[in-house]
Order: sequence, then structure tokens, then C-alpha cells
Amino acid sequence: MFLEISNIRKGFGEGDSRTEVLKGIDLGIEKGEFCVLLGPSGSGKSTLLNIIGGIDNADSGYISIGGEKTADMNEKALTLYRRKHLGYIFQMYNLIPNLNIKENIEVGAYLSDAPLDVDELLHTLGLYEHRHKLPNQLSGGQQQRTAIGRAIIKNPDILLCDEPTGALDYRTSKEILKLIEEVNRKYGNTVVMVTHNDAIKNMADRVIKLRDGMVRSNRVNESRISAEELDW
Amino acid sequence: MRDPLIRRLPRELKSDAGKYIIIFIFMVIVIGFVSGFLVASKSLITAYNDSFVKYNIEDGNFTTVTIADNALLDAISGEGAEVYENFYKDRETDDIDSTLRIYKLREEVNRVGVNEGALPSSVNEIAIDRMYADNHSIKVGDVLSVDGRKLTVTGLVALSDYSALYQSPTDTLFEAFSFGVAVMTEQGFDEFDDAGLNYNYAWTYNDKPADDLDAKDRAESMLETISEKAMLTRFVPAYTNQAIQFVGDDTGRDRVTFITFLYVVIAILAFIMAITTSNTITKEANVIGTLRASGYTRGELIRHYLSMPALVTLISAVIGNIVGYTLFVEVALGIYYGNYSLPLFDILWNVDAFVQTTVIPVLLMIAINFFILSSKMRLSPLKFIRRDLKKNGRKKALRLNTKIGIMHRFRIRVILQNLPNYIMIVVGIFLANVILLLGMGFPKLLENNETLIAENMICDYQYILKAPVETENDSAEKYCAGGLMTIEGRRKSEAVTIYGISSNSSYFDIEFGEGVYISEAFAAKNSIEIGDTVTMKEEFSTKEYSFTVDGISGSPTTLAVYMERSYFNEVFGNEADYFNGYFSDEELTDIDELYIMNKLTIDDFTKLSRQMNNSMGEVFDMFYWFGLVMFMLIIYLLSKIIIEKNAQSISMTKILGYTNSEISGLYVITTSIVVIASFILTMPIVDVIMRILCAEIFAAYAGWIPYSVPASVYVTIIAMGIAAYAVIAFMQFGRVKKIPLDTALKNVE
Repeated sequence: MFLEISNIRKGFGEGDSRTEVLKGIDLGIEKGEFCVLLGPSGSGKSTLLNIIGGIDNADSGYISIGGEKTADMNEKALTLYRRKHLGYIFQMYNLIPNLNIKENIEVGAYLSDAPLDVDELLHTLGLYEHRHKLPNQLSGGQQQRTAIGRAIIKNPDILLCDEPTGALDYRTSKEILKLIEEVNRKYGNTVVMVTHNDAIKNMADRVIKLRDGMVRSNRVNESRISAEELDW
Repeated sequence: MRDPLIRRLPRELKSDAGKYIIIFIFMVIVIGFVSGFLVASKSLITAYNDSFVKYNIEDGNFTTVTIADNALLDAISGEGAEVYENFYKDRETDDIDSTLRIYKLREEVNRVGVNEGALPSSVNEIAIDRMYADNHSIKVGDVLSVDGRKLTVTGLVALSDYSALYQSPTDTLFEAFSFGVAVMTEQGFDEFDDAGLNYNYAWTYNDKPADDLDAKDRAESMLETISEKAMLTRFVPAYTNQAIQFVGDDTGRDRVTFITFLYVVIAILAFIMAITTSNTITKEANVIGTLRASGYTRGELIRHYLSMPALVTLISAVIGNIVGYTLFVEVALGIYYGNYSLPLFDILWNVDAFVQTTVIPVLLMIAINFFILSSKMRLSPLKFIRRDLKKNGRKKALRLNTKIGIMHRFRIRVILQNLPNYIMIVVGIFLANVILLLGMGFPKLLENNETLIAENMICDYQYILKAPVETENDSAEKYCAGGLMTIEGRRKSEAVTIYGISSNSSYFDIEFGEGVYISEAFAAKNSIEIGDTVTMKEEFSTKEYSFTVDGISGSPTTLAVYMERSYFNEVFGNEADYFNGYFSDEELTDIDELYIMNKLTIDDFTKLSRQMNNSMGEVFDMFYWFGLVMFMLIIYLLSKIIIEKNAQSISMTKILGYTNSEISGLYVITTSIVVIASFILTMPIVDVIMRILCAEIFAAYAGWIPYSVPASVYVTIIAMGIAAYAVIAFMQFGRVKKIPLDTALKNVE
């Protein structure tokens, strides 16, 4: 198993106000798989994604990627782990506002010894003619494409997507989903996508449903459809 | 109902306590320091102005070769003036290398203020100048040995006509190390023999002159009257007497300097506050948008964001004034008493100082913040809600050459993004450099001046004789010395020494032609070049002399004209072989003291720098520390803002996998580059300003101190600045490290 999630527990707060967000999550995701984490608000899906991404710690349990356990890593090693293996896409894009589009992608490229070609990727993302613009000069969809570009330019093993279409309209959401699907197909990255949009599960290889911090279902999608065919 | 937003203020204060505490402390110190000085200087000026009547200070004095006869005294009365005997004797102290100018107790004119102890009442008692006593640690009750006599010091006093201890009206600066004044009883005074007795008279006008112009006209008339009836060796109207005027002039200059300094510092702090508040507004944009949409007016929100800067300034100003009136006023008085011979005076509460250090700083802070905040708040509520805070549409990104590596481009973008902060850093460093250079460079400048004087000494012993007498010493070389005054123009008229040099001089390597040579100091101070004609006049007449300048050579510190001795004697109508001085590298022991008017050694030429260093040393130290603290404060606050403003981006780069060192390389190193570049690049401008500043400062004094601060001072300032910055950079590195990864997860974009 490429990505192994074993008995992950996580809670917030102290004493009476303590809330257990993850109550022992066990999962396995294969390399190159497109996995969707589905669940309502408060189900713990974003927390789980952050723990996989090494930006939050679990109270117990471990995450193992290609045999490397993140729990054993110190801060420096975690940084290196994110640098080597992960690409992140957020709902609110998180672009660096004072860098132009090309530079935002180059910030990602800098971290890799063998990054993809920036200009080629800009063409793929449909952003080449906007490359000299600042993020606030672009639409939400264009900004999210830039964020995708920044995440995949270093060709990461795992692409973590936290509600990447949460702030976008239907048409743009589909464009973004198509792009992520294309990336997954073209480069073979493992994709873990958090969403509460039930329709998106149909484009995934694996669908994991969370509720109240527990895995309610974990199934392989035998009839995966393309993003183009999605409708909601 | 009270504005509920007020409740945010204590929370805002708490959440950014570090910033407010630092600004508060700094403002308290600056305002306290300035208000202390303003109160002290105002009290001093009031006492000084009152002293003219209180101590009946003269309107002028003159010295005659022989005792004044009735005809002269009557003639002075005819000028509408009262004349007073003001004889003095210059006597050497035995245990201290100094000259004491002793007067009889004065009851009518130039009366004496007693600071400690009492006036002398018996023959072997003396009261000496308080500042001279402080410089030599002499206390009331001590015994002072003067010209072989043991005198008990009964009091420490201030002579009202010597508030600045100028030994001679032509001295560059007063000094209370090798010169002091004293009073004795008439019997005590008479006990000294009459060698060196000066027939000095003081006069006061029955009707005081209306202004300096009137004083000048009346002094000219007085000079004409006196010189018709007696041979003068000294004539000093009060309006030109530095010993009387300097305190008033200098304190006036101090006040302007301090007030300007305060306003510049407050303006810088106001801009820093405005930048931090703008940063808060950016952070809270959606909240502001929502409040505006709910009906809050622009004015209400501006008032809200103005409250904290205004409140902090007001509290700092009030506490600063309390500290100023209680603590710093003592420091200021210490400095004034360390410089001037002042009688005791009361500290006066003054409204001006309160307005200048409280009301105006608060208004300045409000005005600058209002200007910046109101422009920022001009956007529509919708733009705030959308966090689209660009006023003129969406700004285009400046294109950078993609051949420049991404990390370098990133740094350039950080500079462009934070341009107002960096401009303030450059301005702050520039000002800090001026202050640091004053603090560090000035003592070096004076020290270097002493070296220059030593290097340019004509000889080890320079004698000025009362009459030509021969010496057997082979080292001695005859010369003529005289004095002329420059013509009053942009600068005040001042004394120039005229030298007549023997041909084939072994002390001067000058080939004289038809004209004269002038000293480097004379050329520099009056912007004279080779080929120019210099015109000067006699001190006690209107007769003028003009000379063509053939060359510039010699002393960079004294105003002098050099010509061949034969030419000197021809010009001044002396016998062809006349001389009145000797240059010598050896002390001349075969000339009777009676014939020697003056014997000048290196100590006589360097006393001015020594006094300046002694009296202003504390001020230099204060400048030094203040400059350093101001620099650190500005850099700390502004670089903190840059990090805070970019917290989201920093957090995101961490998530991407950038290490703390790499991120610091983007944000902290960028500031480092700006700081170091500012230090290095502003230095030449600071240097030019210092040259102009020093030229103006020194122009107020007689003589000249050339601007020459060694390069090592500049290097030290830069090195020190960088070292101080390293501490701040280290703190900022810690700040970058502390930014949590989840900052990027808070959807604030």
C-alpha cells in the first residue's frame, strides 16, 4: 500500500470541551489512485487531509507514505517530506499575492530537482497569456488553475486537494476537476481530494465516506466516469 | 449608546502590546528629553534675559593703555552713558595650568551671582567661577594657590558678564579649563602687584539701544569718542561680546534644534503607526466592509482606527512631560551648567513647552494618520468585503526579467510590495545615520582638529612681544603680527591674524610675490580662492586694507594672512626692520617677561577643542545611544510589519515545503539587503549634510574647525548598524519560524 493510514486519532480542546474529530481511521490508498474523501461538515475529512499533509499532527496512529512514517519525523524531516512528496491545493487558492502567475508556479518548481517545464504547464493550464498578471487580476477559476500548477509543477507523488471547487461556480468547478483528472492521468500522481459534493465521487477510483470522525465506507469505484460527464 | 467598537481598543492594545510598548517608551524618552530641555532652556533664557537688569550687565567695555583721565570719562558721559572701573589682573594658578582673571568685588555693574558659599570678605579670600571650579574639582573652603599667594575659596560664583568664559573676544570658543574668572576684595586685589593690570572700563547707556543696529551705531560713536582721547587695546560693545551674548544665541539655536528633532521623530513614528494601522485594515478588510454595509460611516471607522495612535501619543506625551519636568530637566540643567557659567535660577513651568511637546505631537500624529487612513478608507464597502483594496483598479504587476532566478525575483517583489515600509526604513536609517555621525563623528572631528593643529603648528613657541627685543637663541626667527577684522557680510566680522614673515624663513616655505597667502581656514570659511582680493578693516577704525591672494597655505584652523615682513611693515607704516614676535622651536629664556605679551604653545591652540569635547561629551553620548535605539526601533517595527503582512504567504510556502531558512532568505534577507544598502548608500548624503551642518555650526564661532571625520568612523557606524540589525534579523527569523502552518488554512484571502 502506497499511502497507509493506521488508527489515526485526533481531538481538539481540553477537558469537557474536548472534541474527538478523528476516532481511529484506518485506510490504504494505492499509488496513482484518485481518492475522494466525502463527508459533511465536521466529519473530520479536512483534519485527516492535513495530517496526511504533515501540517497537523495526529494524537495517535501513523501515516506511512512509501514506507516512511510521518510520526517519526521531526519538523525538518516533515518539511523535506512535504517538499519531496506533496502538492497542496486549497479551496481559497493561497497564491502569493505579490508574485505574478508564472512566478507563483516557479515557487513550486524551485522545490524540485526535476520540475516540469513551466511554460509548457502554463499552456496546459490555459494560463500562458496571463502569466505576467498578479493573482488578483484573475478570476477564481484561473487562480485555482494557478494553484494546481504550483502544486503539480514539482510532479509530487501525492496531490492533496481540500475542497478545490468549494469557491467556484458549476462550469469552473468542472474545468478544475477535469484538470485534476488530466494531471492524475498524465503524471500518475496519487490524488486525495476532500469534498462534500457527492457528485464528485463518481470520477474517483476510491471513495471514502467519513462521518463523525469515523470511516463509514471505503469502496473502489468500479464505474468511474470522467469529470466531463459529472453533473450536479 | 456608546460606540461598541471602543471595546476593541484594550484588546487591540493587548494583542499588539509589543509594538505599542516600544513606541510608548521611545516617545516618552524623546518627549521627556525635549520637554526637559525646553523647560530648562526657557527657564535659562528667562533668567538670562532678566540678568541684564538684575545684575546690571554692561553695554560694553574697553581697555586703555593708561588709566582713563577725567576728559575721557566726561566724554563717555557725553555719549549718554555711565562708566565704571572694571580693572582686572590675569594671574597664573600655581597647581593648575590656568589663568585666573581677577576682578574686585562688583557692586554697581556686572554684579556677581553666588551659587554656593559666599563672597570674599578678607584679603586672602577669593570667590571663583563655578564652572572653572567644577572642571578642577575645587570646593568651597579649598585653598587655591595663585601667583604665590594662598587664597581660601569662599564661594563659587557666576560673573554676569562671563556667562560663557571667553578669555578674549576673538577666541573661537569659551573654555573653563585653562581660564577662569574670580572676584576678591579690593585689598585682596591690590595685594597682587600691577604687572598685567588691565585698565578696563565698563559702560552702560542711560537709555538702552533699541536693537542691535542702534547698539552698533552708538558703539561706533562711542569708539570714535574714546579713541580720540585714549589709546585702546580692547573695545567690546556688549552686542558683539561673546562672553555675554553666546548663552542667549546658543540656547535659542538649541530650542529650534530640539523642536525640529522632536517633530521629525514624531512624524517618523506617525508614519510607522499609519503603516501598521493600514496593515490592520487590510487584515480586517471584510469586517470593515461588513460594518460599512451595516451603516457605520467612514468617519466612525477612521476615528476608530485613529484612536489608538492618538491615545498612545497622548499618554506618551503626558508621561513624557512628567518625566521631562522631573528627570530630564535635571539632565538638561546639568548640560547647561556644564557649558555655561550661570547663576542659580528657578525652573519655570511653561505653556509653550507643554504645547510643543504634547499638543503638537498629538496633532501631528492624528494629521498624518488621518491623511493615510482616510485615503485607505475611501473604498466602497463591497471592495472591502471582497478584500480588493486597490484604489485605482487592479494594479499591473511590474515585469521582471525571467533570467533572474525565482528567489531573487521573489525578493524584488517583496521590496515592491512593501515599498512604503522600505522607504520609511531608508528615511529612518538616514536620520539615524545623521544622529550617529553627530554622536560618533563630532568627538573624532575635534580630536582630529587637535592633530591638525599640531601638524600645522608654525613652531613650538610663538611669541608676541610688547616691544621689539633681541634674543640670542638661534632657533628664533623674527616676524610681525597684527590683527584685522573681516568685513561684516553674510558672516559676522571676525579677527584675522596678519603675519609678516622674514624672507628666507625657516618656518615658512612660501615664495612671496606681490600679493599675500591666506590660511586654509580663512579660504574655507569665506570661500576665497587664489586670485581673489580680500578686504579687511582695522578693528577700531574704518580704515580698510585689500590684498590679492597669491596662494593658500598653512593653518586649516585659524584665520590668518601671510605676507613678507617688509611688505607688512610697508602696509602698516612701520620701520623697515620692525618686528614684534618670534617663531621658535625652543623656549626663549633670555627675554624679560615684561616684554612678552603672549607666548603661544600647542595647548593654547587646542584648548577650544578640549572644552568643546568636555562640555558636549555627554550630548555626543546621548546622540550616539539615541541614534542606535531609534535605528533599532524603526527596523524592528517595520520588519515586523513585513513579516506579519506576509504571514499567509509564509505559511503557504512552509506547506509547500520551504524550510525556515529559505523563507527567511526571502523575507528577512530582503530587509537585510535594504538595511545594509541604505546604510551604505545614505552615508555619502549624510556626509554632505554633516559638512553643511558643521560649516553652519562652526561659522557661528570665531576661527574654523575643518570637517574631517576619519573614514573609520563611517565604517564603524555601518558595522555597528549591521551588528544591531543582526539582533533584529535574528528576532525576525524567530518570528518566521513561529508562523504556524495552519495560518494558510484560515480562508482570509
